[in-house]
Amino acid sequence: MTDLTPVTALGGTVPRSEVFGALSITENAGLALASLSLRQGQLAPAPFGLVLPDVSQTVSTGGYGAFWTGRDQWMIEAEGQGDSDFAARLKAEVPEATVTEQTDGFAAFEIQSSAGAAPIEALMHKLVNIDPKALGVGRATRTGLEHMTVFLIRRADDRLAVIGMRTLAGSLWHALAVAARRLEA
Amino acid sequence: MTRLAGGLIDRSLPLNFTFDGKAYTGFQGDTLASALLANGVQLMGRSFKYHRPRGVVAAGSEEPNALVELRSGARQEPNTRATVAELFDGLAARSQNHIGPLDRDFLAVNDLLSPFFAAGFYYKTFMWPKAFWEKLYEPAIRKAAGLGSLSMLPDPDAYDKGFLHCDLLVVGGGAAGLAAALTAGRAGAEVILADEDFALGGRLLAESDLLDETEASVWIATVRAELDSLPNVRIMTRTTVFGVYDHGIYGAVERVADHLPTPGDKVRQTLWRITAKRAVLAAGATERHIPFADNDRPGVMLAGAMRAYANRWAVSPVKREADAIAIFTNGDDGHRTAMDLIAKGAKVLGVIDVRQTAPRFGDYEVFAGATVTGTKGRLGLNAIEITRNGRSEWHPVGALGVAGGWNPNVHLASHHRGRPVWNADLLSFVPGADGPKGLIPAGAAVGKGGTEEALADGMNAAITALAGIGIVAAGIALPKAANAAAEQVAFWHVPGKKRAWVDFQNDVTVKDIALAHKENMRPVEHLKRWTTLGMATDQGKTSNISALAVMAELTGKSIPETGTTIFRPPYTGVSLSVLGGGDTGTTFRPRRLTPTHHWAEAQGAEFVEVGQWMRAQYFPQAGETHWRQTVDREVLAVRSGVGLCDVTTLGKVDVQGRDAGEFLNRLYANMMGTLKVGMVRYGLMLREDGHAYDDGTCARMAQDHYVVTTTTANAGLVYRQMEFFHQCVWPELDVQLISTTDAWAQIAVAGPNARELLSRVVDDFDLSNEAFPFMACAELTICQGLRARLFRISFSGELAYEIAVPARYGQALIERLMQKGADLGVTPYGTEALGVLRIEKGHAAGSELNGQTTAQMLGLGRMVSPKKDSIGAVMSRREGLAADRRRLVGLKPLDAGTQIMAGSHLFTAGAAQTMETDQGWVTSSCYSPHLQSYIALGFLEAGDARMGEVLVAANPLEGQEMKVEVVSPHFVDPEGGRLRD
Repeated sequence: MTDLTPVTALGGTVPRSEVFGALSITENAGLALASLSLRQGQLAPAPFGLVLPDVSQTVSTGGYGAFWTGRDQWMIEAEGQGDSDFAARLKAEVPEATVTEQTDGFAAFEIQSSAGAAPIEALMHKLVNIDPKALGVGRATRTGLEHMTVFLIRRADDRLAVIGMRTLAGSLWHALAVAARRLEA
Repeated sequence: MTRLAGGLIDRSLPLNFTFDGKAYTGFQGDTLASALLANGVQLMGRSFKYHRPRGVVAAGSEEPNALVELRSGARQEPNTRATVAELFDGLAARSQNHIGPLDRDFLAVNDLLSPFFAAGFYYKTFMWPKAFWEKLYEPAIRKAAGLGSLSMLPDPDAYDKGFLHCDLLVVGGGAAGLAAALTAGRAGAEVILADEDFALGGRLLAESDLLDETEASVWIATVRAELDSLPNVRIMTRTTVFGVYDHGIYGAVERVADHLPTPGDKVRQTLWRITAKRAVLAAGATERHIPFADNDRPGVMLAGAMRAYANRWAVSPVKREADAIAIFTNGDDGHRTAMDLIAKGAKVLGVIDVRQTAPRFGDYEVFAGATVTGTKGRLGLNAIEITRNGRSEWHPVGALGVAGGWNPNVHLASHHRGRPVWNADLLSFVPGADGPKGLIPAGAAVGKGGTEEALADGMNAAITALAGIGIVAAGIALPKAANAAAEQVAFWHVPGKKRAWVDFQNDVTVKDIALAHKENMRPVEHLKRWTTLGMATDQGKTSNISALAVMAELTGKSIPETGTTIFRPPYTGVSLSVLGGGDTGTTFRPRRLTPTHHWAEAQGAEFVEVGQWMRAQYFPQAGETHWRQTVDREVLAVRSGVGLCDVTTLGKVDVQGRDAGEFLNRLYANMMGTLKVGMVRYGLMLREDGHAYDDGTCARMAQDHYVVTTTTANAGLVYRQMEFFHQCVWPELDVQLISTTDAWAQIAVAGPNARELLSRVVDDFDLSNEAFPFMACAELTICQGLRARLFRISFSGELAYEIAVPARYGQALIERLMQKGADLGVTPYGTEALGVLRIEKGHAAGSELNGQTTAQMLGLGRMVSPKKDSIGAVMSRREGLAADRRRLVGLKPLDAGTQIMAGSHLFTAGAAQTMETDQGWVTSSCYSPHLQSYIALGFLEAGDARMGEVLVAANPLEGQEMKVEVVSPHFVDPEGGRLRD
């Protein structure tokens, strides 16, 4: 175990979390990410028991998840493994496929509503040109948010993950927090 | 007070406000215009050019005259139309565009000088002498012109933006719009109903027409209640849909808090981008006036507006109750106003109808076959001249309503280059069939302005629109309504010798149009620019068609032959603040922060914007008073000890797959497939046209795994280019790409002590020159088990490495390196020192890779491998490029203390300095503390064969000229011993 101390994408020693009325936004520093791409002619494997999903879909099981990011390409998520060499673990699962470490390429923000889907959808109206009705539970997409590129993952009716570039974490947090705060007003 | 009975104002809620400092009272539901009229205030402003006294003309967003400054301090807002400014308690408004009091404007002298201010005046008068324009004429004209004034303070309010999606967007909440929204809402479609007004109803609010034999407001309230109850319908009042954009996107501004004294914790306005599968344009129609002599006096207004003030706001537009009101019309519509005014108890002189066989609908006098030929009243109308059969007589009146017919609001339908078409029966342009896809005009916007027909047309438009997207909508039971009589004749202006205003806001008269005709400015585009007609803030909503008609009369052509007025967005003015999207200052745009950003901030670093990135520019220390001191220290520290620089910003692309080597062979000009595992190679990419594109390093981590680095600026572009060639050009290659720029914090460790410093953090890794030579790379662990990547590459020319760790450890790593290297003289350095180091070493950067340079010019011609094809290779061999003899050289001033300006051009000493004798240019320049001299890089004609020659570097912009000596671009360690040993 290294003796270096990591910081979160927002630069803190602990993940940031804030409540805005019915919405809470939490930095998910524990989320590990690795991309999985098939080699030409390779059949889709099932790492960690995940059935790799089709276009704009996401799946999850037992602390692992996957969302489609391109043709024959997925992002694999692992909860609570942000500090580990998750790419190596994934590679061990799918030795034939191409795996690239992505954990620190991104900053993940988990948005939770305490009042059902409506606050999540109202927030989306302010942030992304995506019809919330088209981003139902189990759907994922990549889109622009305040001139930044993000993945949106609708984990549940009342939960949305926004995953953006790590170096833009501060700006992304600002965008999310300002929009959430205005919904409170 | 000239309040009438009834109206849709709440008399239980009086509101106090001021206009030009004087206190007045209005009611909830009033606009500033209706409240001023109710208080007998007709004079509301001065005209743009002649400073003529002006009063309100319209009752909606088309208002050309009644522009005021609202609020004060930083919230002062010029050119606000009093007709759409909702009254609130404490509202403070001021008239604008005058010097001295409104009723004694000093600049009214312009009116006396009007013969000099004809159309095209500016173009003719201020041409000579040419040099006077910028310094004298333009500032003077700008000072005299313009309407309201700016506070010059930053806008204190917050603005927002957002995105909505719907099946059907209904633009306008009048009869047609309400019928459309209700039809679609009941069918279960996702509906957005937007209206610029604060109340739904449109002209239904302004007319006395009954629906189901009761007041229209009852039906409106019923519909509103039903729409409110439908979860699939979103009602957006105070929202102007101002433009149609690509892919069915409509721009709309919601004025969230404009009707409040201050927004409080709300945003002021929200910019919405509405993606609508279909839209119904139910934007209604705008009445036009009839130009006649002195028709711009306060008290002369549109007859339809007069009706709106009477019916909706219970206001008579006269100063005193006893004053009579006259109506001047070319059709039946003017008579409606007379009838409504009489019903409200106002005193009506009669209706002046241009038709010889004018009808009479009630108990009022009709002046058939008559026109209005003059007005009197210094600051407000007190008499009109009625001329009939050549005989004129003056009649005292306090107000005159003018009804010249209605122009459908075709604006949105003419975005996307839709051409309105002339309808001779309606005497107006209506939306053409080539408007924006999916937009169906309905109701008055398509000339169906009768209440009954508008309701039916709105319903049918919704049914048609939804059918297009597979939603079956049933017809709804519409209220019983009638279409008012609407006969009219073509009558566009009253000929005469005196000035008759067409465009009130920009002071354009019939005479100006005649002059434009005389001066051959006849096409509407020329007419508009020559006279400025329609170019004011109202965009000529009340004047464009009348102007066309006047020009048509002069040319003898029909109106459609004369031209068509089309419209661009926005429909009404949109504030820059709301277009800006809200964020200002440091949050105006996203900023990418490097993994060591917060640490650098704590060290007191100065930052510089590099694209989206914030990079540490230099790290000042106590006692350093000038940035050069800091940078010189940082540079020398790297050359003598060891320096640290965050280079995370360089693009990193992970390339894997069986064909990764072949893919990179095709991407780079030089060979990458032969690179040994564990080694790095400098790579050059060309553009498809053969010019140099980007450079960087390519590391082979495994047989089928490379890591490509790009320049900071081109990281996104190169990655995009790689994806394009991978997906579209060479899909047969087994290659997988993904960016890892953000994933790894990468720190350059450069200087003679770099190896020693790194040896203190690596876990059991042999850093010796033999085991890990120049251009080696490896995966390893550091600091007791942290996975890392190490590259022995050098931008500075020193013994140097770049070490990469997962980004979350970047800050900890630099802190550790600083701590471990204290005795080695470890020094953080920023982009300035980085620039000096690379110029001293002769390494190209953005200034040299500017899109105009070739590999040969950079001295890298041999890197373009002839053994394989690659992007741009063939084109790089074309004569125009291959024959270019300019080469990268170093330049030293003969006087070491004189800076060479980057951008200077190079000339042979003694030669004339012309384009023809130009020998090249200076690309990068800096002070080299190592050489204790300014130095520079540049491209020079046959530069590689001119070492030692003395040239002139000329910078004509700054009036500089200096002598420079041509030297090798490698100022430091040209043999490269330092980085290899």
